[in-house]
Amino acid sequence: MSMAYGPPYKEMIMGEFKGSAAANDLSVALSNDELHILINLVEQLLELLGERNFTHHYQSDDPFAQLMAATLGNLESPIEQPEDPVLRRLLPNGYADPESAAEFRKYTEGSLRMVKQKHLLYLREQLVFPVDHELPKADIAVTDPTQWLIAINDLRIALAVRLDIGQDGFEKYELMKDSDPQKHLHAVYYWLGAIQESLISHL
Amino acid sequence: MSSQTQVEESLDLSKFFDNLWVTIVWDDPVNLMNYVTYVFIKLFGFSKEKAHKLMMQVHTEGKAVVASGTREEMERAVQQLHEHGLWATLQRDDHGRV
Repeated sequence: MSMAYGPPYKEMIMGEFKGSAAANDLSVALSNDELHILINLVEQLLELLGERNFTHHYQSDDPFAQLMAATLGNLESPIEQPEDPVLRRLLPNGYADPESAAEFRKYTEGSLRMVKQKHLLYLREQLVFPVDHELPKADIAVTDPTQWLIAINDLRIALAVRLDIGQDGFEKYELMKDSDPQKHLHAVYYWLGAIQESLISHL
Repeated sequence: MSSQTQVEESLDLSKFFDNLWVTIVWDDPVNLMNYVTYVFIKLFGFSKEKAHKLMMQVHTEGKAVVASGTREEMERAVQQLHEHGLWATLQRDDHGRV
């Protein structure tokens, strides 16, 4: 597990949460740049999660059968573990033994994907730029903090897998040269950690 | 006690243990410690102290048993943990040896 390291850049001290979930007045202030970054990440992960098309399950024209197929997957043939390492981590095996894992995946992967997409779609809908473009920050009401938390966590997992961030990730980040094109992506990862930590402290 | 009764008792006992499954959460470098504690409280209704202790066990030992029950119950728990981004598996309870 990881500690939160706080925002890596001084200018990234936003993502401030105000109020509390208990009092039902939780909100977050995000700058336009932060909104752009978050929207970009959410949309990329949504695309990745939707990538395995379930068209081969849609053999039937019956909408109910299609819904069942999308929810439960194809119950006749096993589903392989995804090839993409991000998906392998977000949709992990439920058993150590491969046979039971495949059987479990057959019944659960479709709905797990749908739940993750649901959280990300919710977050995407919340990320709205301020109506007044002169305003430096959007003040966004966090009506469902749990969905925020889970969606941000999935974004962090995806980034960590893509950037190969391990236990010593922050030490490596601090040693990265500013000219390294990957450095800002690592910064985004730690910024998301700070946002998540801040959100947890307001629950 | 006749030997017949003893055999029956041991059979019943093995059946009982066969029906016991456990959910294991594995350490990973991404999930924040506070987040994992939060998820344990939310999903299993643990006290803050118990959730924190289990989280620390995952963190320091690499894994911890967080729930036990029937196979169906543990499959549901694993599914929920996966929904929250934690890395979890279920297996038959082998009496503490994971």
